Amino acid sequence: MTDRAAAPERTSSNGVTVEIRGLHKSFNGTPVLDGVDLTIEPGEIMVIVGGSGEGKSVLLRHIAGLETPEEGEIRLNGMLLPDYLRLQPQDKPFRISMIFQSSALLNSLTVGQNVGLRLHEYRSQPRATIEQTVARCLANVELAGKQHVMPGDLSGGMRKRVAIARALAVDPQLILYDEPTADLDPILTAQIGALIRSIRDQHGATQVVVAHNLALAVEIGDHIAVLRGGRIVDFQRADALRDSPNAFTQEFLRAAGLRR
Amino acid sequence: MTTVAQDQESRARATTLGRLGQGILDILQIIGEAGFLLFRSVRAIAGRGRTWERTMAQLVSVGTDTLPLAFLVSLFVGMVMVVQSADQLQAYTQEILGSIVGLAMTKELGPVIIAFLVAGRVGSATAAEIGSMKIYDEINALRTMDIDPVRYLAVPRLIAMALAVPMLVVYADVVGIIGGGIVVYTDPTVKISVHQYINNLAEWVNTKDIVVGLIKAFVFGVSIAVISCTFGFRTGGGAEGVARSTTAAVVWSFVLILMFDYIIVRLAIALP
Repeated sequence: MTDRAAAPERTSSNGVTVEIRGLHKSFNGTPVLDGVDLTIEPGEIMVIVGGSGEGKSVLLRHIAGLETPEEGEIRLNGMLLPDYLRLQPQDKPFRISMIFQSSALLNSLTVGQNVGLRLHEYRSQPRATIEQTVARCLANVELAGKQHVMPGDLSGGMRKRVAIARALAVDPQLILYDEPTADLDPILTAQIGALIRSIRDQHGATQVVVAHNLALAVEIGDHIAVLRGGRIVDFQRADALRDSPNAFTQEFLRAAGLRR
Repeated sequence: MTTVAQDQESRARATTLGRLGQGILDILQIIGEAGFLLFRSVRAIAGRGRTWERTMAQLVSVGTDTLPLAFLVSLFVGMVMVVQSADQLQAYTQEILGSIVGLAMTKELGPVIIAFLVAGRVGSATAAEIGSMKIYDEINALRTMDIDPVRYLAVPRLIAMALAVPMLVVYADVVGIIGGGIVVYTDPTVKISVHQYINNLAEWVNTKDIVVGLIKAFVFGVSIAVISCTFGFRTGGGAEGVARSTTAAVVWSFVLILMFDYIIVRLAIALP
């Protein structure tokens, strides 16, 4: 994994501030989010950890605008999320990208078409420039020259990296990751972790990562929020997590083998 | 005081009524969703984003790829119609065989057979494809890229089916009539000539019959596109959900085809 001490300074505060206040959501009468409050500073990597079914992915989908809360609000750079979502794409002051657990690549398109999908769709740049952007983004995730490969011919780790390249292609200021290392072996997990760190260092985008893998969370995160019972029960700097007084965090650390 | 038997009967009735009510609500919900999807699709046609290339790809899938199957089905339908009608008409006159095949193909069988074919072949594939995209978060991925899934997925299919089904119907009409002509020429039990067959057909089939057939085809094409996309977008529950959506899309398409067929026929007959 990336040596945190050796990581270069962040180049800019290109990222977005995310403020979540009193977020409530239930499915079929069962509360999933029960008053989530969380602030994510621009350019930081926030890792949200917690057990299965605790609502981590649901929280992430709220930030992406894919779910509507029953109560509470989300502000991005001070702008209410519904107001942001109502804007025409060309009028949005910043862009959000999301990397899904399943990678969510369009299987009928090549890797290159997937990465350049939004750019082609909006014809925001000349075709040659888009091709250059696609090539650069694929090179960033160490998949140079894979433009013409179909997603079905890639391994799970490669698909994840293509999804990250697709996210980077639109030059986002907020990147959301839903279990980016799920089902990946330790080497690929380390590669994805290093990639997330390098994106922070090179692009300065705010990144929110939902993860089961506590070792990865401690390695890549600036802050870690622990979600349990639909609430943030612990919030720590990543390097201070081991010293957290929270009993659930300690139990989680022990289960992950990070504490005896 | 109610007996146990009365209590059970009352509960059974309540369950049956509940299921019936739920079924009616589900049908209304699907009709509402389909109507809204059609409205959004029509509105999205004028929106931002590229649609032309995807529409061409869908036209190939709906139209060109259906041609061989449409040829076989229409040919045999035309042939069977002549054989059956010739047998029934032996005691009367076989001179009306041309009008029977011509009118049946242009007004009824051509549009309905092609619509069933497209619903089974393309409608099911559409529901399955969009359904899979839904459960694997590909549709959410489009949303996060500011790409409207209705414009990206439904609009090209709607345009393609609205254009391709009428073209396929014209093709099927011609092939069916040729199929009938082949039987007239080769079958010794048919006592009329191909010339008589064509003359009788030309005498009876008029422009209105062809136009009504094409209107039907257009309505069927739109219905198949809207219903298959609606079931694709409302898919949930993994692979089993995809299978359910696919089946439902085909069944609903078949029912709507026959329902709209009746409505259009009634309207066409009422018109001068």
